[in-house]
Amino acid sequence: MKTSKVAKRYARALLGLSPDRGQLEAWAIELDRLARIVEAPEIINMFASPQISPASKIEGLGKIAEKLDLSYPVRSFSAVVARHGRIEDFAAIADAYRRMLDDLMGRTRATVIFAEEPSDEDRARVHAGLEAIAQKKVIPTVKTDGTLLGGVVVELEGKTYDGSLATRLAQLQQRLAG
Amino acid sequence: MKFRIAFVLIAAAEACPSLAHAAEQATENRGSWFDLVFYVINFLLFIWIIRRYAGPLITGFFRDRSAGIRTTIGRAQSALDEAQQLANHANEQIARLEEERRQIASELSEETIYQTGRIYDLANEAAARIRRDTDLTAAALREAARRRVREALAAAAGGLARGLISRHFGARDQKRLLEGFIDKLGQEARQ
Repeated sequence: MKTSKVAKRYARALLGLSPDRGQLEAWAIELDRLARIVEAPEIINMFASPQISPASKIEGLGKIAEKLDLSYPVRSFSAVVARHGRIEDFAAIADAYRRMLDDLMGRTRATVIFAEEPSDEDRARVHAGLEAIAQKKVIPTVKTDGTLLGGVVVELEGKTYDGSLATRLAQLQQRLAG
Repeated sequence: MKFRIAFVLIAAAEACPSLAHAAEQATENRGSWFDLVFYVINFLLFIWIIRRYAGPLITGFFRDRSAGIRTTIGRAQSALDEAQQLANHANEQIARLEEERRQIASELSEETIYQTGRIYDLANEAAARIRRDTDLTAAALREAARRRVREALAAAAGGLARGLISRHFGARDQKRLLEGFIDKLGQEARQ
């Protein structure tokens, strides 16, 4: 909870740096890239280690940002986060930033899991259905999972819409078992 | 002391008149009257001496002895009375004990009958409870076994269904499922 509050505070600070939504979008992508690198086990362990000095950690994060060719504001932001000893919260900060930016843009995100690779038409129809429910723009993350057997499962704004055959079978099996 | 020495000498003289008589015989040999008188006087003197000096002692001795015997008799009588009382008391106690014994035996008999009945009732209750518990346990076991069989059958049916689906599931089926799902999303959106 504390981390979440801290992450929101940092995310809000970054969002407040520019009124340009396009730039905010670009920063979101850069922040995600940086968070994915920092989240990697070998990197996060290094940043969590008390044997490495804070200065070395700041320097290390700076080098990663440089390698990723991040924009100056994101690089400065990451340096501030590192100076405050919050490198381990980077993923949470990126997540909070993305959510806040989505709210700002009037959109939401959904995870759509198909049993097999969907056609573009199927994607589009499910996407449209989700936007009709959310009443705003939906950015879907599409995945495939063979264990669903058939159908699709969607997670949207904390709610799960399950249209998979595996779930139907499980329900049927439960009903049979009494 | 002097009295005692005089008493012993006189007693000896009285006790042995033959010595004086022998001494007199040595000088003169007179008639038998003198002897008689001498003996009578001697005897009276002896009686007087005895009465005078030994009488009170003998009387005292017998008085004391009589008092002692009376005391002993009185003591024996009181002991006898006491023993009699004790015997009476003991008899009463024995009678009371006998009564108590009869009462205790009667109470024990009643208690035994009551306890036997109680144990019998308890045993019946326990037997009924065990029977009830056994019935419940048997029913629960039956139900659990039924459930296990149903679960096993359902799992087998599920496995079979999964196998069939993965073998025969096609694009058309997926399309149909997606249609249903999209309809559901539409209904959700309209609500």
